[in-house]
Amino acid sequence: MPEAMPGPMSQKSQQPQEPHESQQPVLRLEQLTRVHGSGATEVHALRGVDLSVFPGELVAVMGPSGSGKSTLLTIAGGLDSPTSGRVVVEGTDITTVGRKELAALRRRSIGYVFQDYNLIPALTAAENVALPRELDGVSARKARVSAVAALEEMGLGQLADRFPDEMSGGQQQRVAIARALVGDRRLVLADEPTGALDSETGESVLALLRARCDAGAAGILVTHEPRFAAWADRVVFLRDGSVVDETLRSQADSLLSGQAAAQ
Amino acid sequence: MNRWYHSWVAAVRIARRDAWRFKGRSSLVLAMIALPILGVSAADVTLRSADLSAEQKMERGLGAADARMSDPGMGGVPILQAPDGFNKAPVKDYGEGIWPEGPGDIRAAFPAGAKTLKDSNGSGKLRTGHGLLNAVIHELDATDPMTRGMMTLEEGRFPAKAGEVAATTHFLQAGGLKVGSTVAARGLDTEYRIVGSYELPDALKADEVLAPPGTFLAPLDKALKADDLPGAETSSTYLVSVGGDGFTWNMVKKANSQGISVISRAVALNPPANSDVPLYQQDGWSNYQQSAASEAAALAVVATVVGLAMLEICLLAGPAFAVGARRSARQLGLVGANGGDRRHIRAIVLSGGLVIGVAAAVVGTVLGLLLTFALRPLLEDYMGKRFGSFDVRPLELIGIGLLAVLTGLLAAIVPAITSSRQSVLASLTGRRGVRRSSRVLPVIGLIAAGLGITITLYGATATDNVAVVAGGSALAELGIVALTPALVGLFGKLGRWLPLSPRLALRDAVRNRGRTAPAVAAVLAAVAGTVAVATYTASDDVQQRAAYEARLPHGVVTVLNAEGGGRDVPAIRAAVQKHFPVDVRADVDRIVVGNAGCTPYSDAKGCGRYEIFTPKDNRCALWAEGTPGSKELTPAERRKLSKDWRCEENGQYAEYDVLVADEKLLSVLAVDDPAAFSALKSGKAVSFDRRNVEKGQVGIKLITDTDKADLMVQKGKDAPGEIKLFPVHQAPQSATAYGLKVILPAPAAKAAGLNTAPVGAYFSTDELPNSTQQQKLEAALDALGTDGGLYVEEGYTSDNSIELLALAIFAGLVTIGAAGIATGLAQTDAEPDLKTLAAVGAPPRVRRTLSGFQCGVVAAMGVALGSAAGVLPAIGLRLTEERQQLKWYEEALDAGMGGVNDAPYVPIVVPWETLAALLVAVPVGAALLAALVTRSRTAVARRAAG
Repeated sequence: MPEAMPGPMSQKSQQPQEPHESQQPVLRLEQLTRVHGSGATEVHALRGVDLSVFPGELVAVMGPSGSGKSTLLTIAGGLDSPTSGRVVVEGTDITTVGRKELAALRRRSIGYVFQDYNLIPALTAAENVALPRELDGVSARKARVSAVAALEEMGLGQLADRFPDEMSGGQQQRVAIARALVGDRRLVLADEPTGALDSETGESVLALLRARCDAGAAGILVTHEPRFAAWADRVVFLRDGSVVDETLRSQADSLLSGQAAAQ
Repeated sequence: MNRWYHSWVAAVRIARRDAWRFKGRSSLVLAMIALPILGVSAADVTLRSADLSAEQKMERGLGAADARMSDPGMGGVPILQAPDGFNKAPVKDYGEGIWPEGPGDIRAAFPAGAKTLKDSNGSGKLRTGHGLLNAVIHELDATDPMTRGMMTLEEGRFPAKAGEVAATTHFLQAGGLKVGSTVAARGLDTEYRIVGSYELPDALKADEVLAPPGTFLAPLDKALKADDLPGAETSSTYLVSVGGDGFTWNMVKKANSQGISVISRAVALNPPANSDVPLYQQDGWSNYQQSAASEAAALAVVATVVGLAMLEICLLAGPAFAVGARRSARQLGLVGANGGDRRHIRAIVLSGGLVIGVAAAVVGTVLGLLLTFALRPLLEDYMGKRFGSFDVRPLELIGIGLLAVLTGLLAAIVPAITSSRQSVLASLTGRRGVRRSSRVLPVIGLIAAGLGITITLYGATATDNVAVVAGGSALAELGIVALTPALVGLFGKLGRWLPLSPRLALRDAVRNRGRTAPAVAAVLAAVAGTVAVATYTASDDVQQRAAYEARLPHGVVTVLNAEGGGRDVPAIRAAVQKHFPVDVRADVDRIVVGNAGCTPYSDAKGCGRYEIFTPKDNRCALWAEGTPGSKELTPAERRKLSKDWRCEENGQYAEYDVLVADEKLLSVLAVDDPAAFSALKSGKAVSFDRRNVEKGQVGIKLITDTDKADLMVQKGKDAPGEIKLFPVHQAPQSATAYGLKVILPAPAAKAAGLNTAPVGAYFSTDELPNSTQQQKLEAALDALGTDGGLYVEEGYTSDNSIELLALAIFAGLVTIGAAGIATGLAQTDAEPDLKTLAAVGAPPRVRRTLSGFQCGVVAAMGVALGSAAGVLPAIGLRLTEERQQLKWYEEALDAGMGGVNDAPYVPIVVPWETLAALLVAVPVGAALLAALVTRSRTAVARRAAG
């Protein structure tokens, strides 16, 4: 681990400002509804969810199994489409654009980090990070230069030429975060990124995510570990597809302790 | 700068590393594509290398000389020749008259100041370590620089003085001799010492000895003629060196005007325009060039074969790419999550095909080249000539390599499209859904199949054009391949009657048509081809068997040899008697007209021929037609005449229609006519053709002036000659002598003053001589230096069985391969199901039985569909053939050709044994094999992204 691992509290104390109304959100969800199936098998995964994420902000989404956390994330990233409502990423309503533009948006604006095996086994760390830009038609050399720069900026330079099966789980997740934010991407959607890691490694991955948000990115972190939610600026609670509670960072601690006690 | 190909760079990189990570699967597909490429590139290099340039051809034919002048034997009249010097004709058209014959004067045609070298060839029987060997005796001063390039000295030196010869390496091997041995010709007492060995680059298998001019052929010829035997049959040409511009076309034309033909290096290298070749201006030479249509037809055949081979490889390799795409579904999902759209996913899977295709192209062509290079001496020996050079044509090899790349890409297309259609979310979560197969494909397939079958039926019933049937069948087969997914669906209906394991396997195969269909289609295509060929060959075999006409009674052996006035015949007869299980031996002699050494139909001076005289009233009017004085016949008259006894033709032909023999010949020929036996004993001839008999007599006409006879026959008149009459017994119609028409007893022939010579014998055997006995006899005949003349009547033997077996094995291998690939794919898909099965307590063997049944189900579906698809075109082809032969038969009757008494017999036979083997044995074998190689235990938790 190249950098000293700061705790969640010390990290947040360095970044005291609240999101401003004047700032444009990177992601805005409006009255988002998603219904799976129809008739007797109809399932309401999301019921009229509203959510905005601003630059520099990390939002944690919590809730029990089946509450709609993952559906929210896949719709926000354009991997799934809502039954109704709007998803606006950097000013573009992605529910109205075609398949190709959507793919282009994922290359240029949205980064994903999944629970495990985020990296393409056939590519090195640098090539994995360079992939979105290469797919975008940037030459391999140029994409690699910016990928290595991104890795070095995050203290992962020494991993550049390793293949995924030569890295630890934590290292893989951190490379995945680097890929999620390479180039002009400002939105990172992380679906239980620490789920397959031990808690210490998990903390280091979240520290990196926090640092990237502090540097100006917007992030959504789906988790059901209150410990990890503590890294967020805001925590949104989902139950049966609806937001049941939303709290700012200042109120988060008390809420989280209550939530933790409840579980 | 953003460029579309930059995303391809990433795709190719992923595909390349994946191919390396899954070496087993990659090498399987690589081998499938590279093997045919290896074969084709090796064939290309071999053919190109063996194809000599004009320069090389001239070097081998002319050495360092400028030309070779030869006498075409047209009596020295002015001639016209083609630039190559092989085709030639007299300037004057002699029509039906006598065409000029006889030697010309080469020496008179030599250009002034030219250097010349005589080159003579003859033949003789040479005594070797193993007996007598027929060899070419070549007389040429090989030390002359003009001969450089014609022969390659291997050992020793070329002969320089009388009594010395050099021999080809093949002759030395065949004769068990070496440099330093001596060799002698039969009939000449002189011994020649072998001072060197050489090879002819264009004829590695030639048996030849080389002697200085005048030292071998002339003495041999003299000695043979002194013994009243045919001479050494010498012919001479001259190598000519003129210097300057070489032997120009004008010089060639001048030599032609003196009746001499020329092969010229200068003309071969710079051939004159066709308009400058007087020969081509003559009638009948204008369409001498090969027609463009036949070339187009040959090209179409090659294109079809290449196309079908590529289709087969694609169908086999396609599922392998599908397995790859399926296994790396999560990886493809990740690419999608990172902004890869369908185009990128397609690019990655297609790159898999590209990478393997390129690798196969490189491996195939490089191995092909290396193999050809390494095996060059063997290939040269096999083809019997040295390569001109190791001729590598990069453009052709690149073209062949591109076929491999194309095959790889084509095989990956369907998996690429299927993977790109998968939603990113489904790929990431590893959800398996039943993928709906295309709705357009079955419609296209149905249309193509319907159209193909219609064309085939039309071709089979309304035309006699085989190409229509073949084209229709090919179209129908492609249609059925496209229909496969839908047909596989129909098989699902059978599921409810099956026990658990096969039912699971069948349901799984039907629910996942995307992977089942290509494998079934691959099996279908291979089996359809095999069944079509098998059905056709089996039918043809039955037809051949029915059409087979024995030349002799079963088990009878004949040996007939007219060489050298029959002086070897006693030894040959004895050899057969010694090595074969002979029961009765009937010695036969032939009638000789002219010198004792004359062979039948010889043009040599002093040789004539005989024919059986057919009395005028017994001649068939059909055959006399077209000759002066005969009236035109109507088709009805012709049909009537063709049934007339005088026009009968049993199609049997014997080398000699008259033989001098005793009654033993009758028993060997199994003639059941006691009167014939007593006739021969009492000195009467026996006839087997009633047309030749008139008033109890048969006539043999002795023709001494063959030239005059030919002219008379051309004019429709009888050939002149003395007719010897013999009292004859006509054998009954039921007796057949297998083409032999008259047997003369020796005393009668002698009394009539006929010259006869021993020609061989007929033997009846206790049992068919076996292979060992035949080999021993052949060795004995070789040692006598005879050219054989041995015939053993073994009845009809089919040579198709090996081909059918090879085809069945090929189809079996393809089936097992395709079914195995599909099973691997099914197992990848079914891994979670198997884990569930194991979790609910299924015994480990369920895994084995399931994979066995999965493999068997694919094989069974493919074989069943393929058999149906293969029998149809074969039946169509046979029906067409029947129509064609019927048409020819009718035309033949109308044209008044005799001997077409039987309507054609074109049976259709389905080879049930082959079909049964394919339908039962192959699926069962495939199932057992798959069950055998499947591990019973589930793999320990595997990485999903792997």
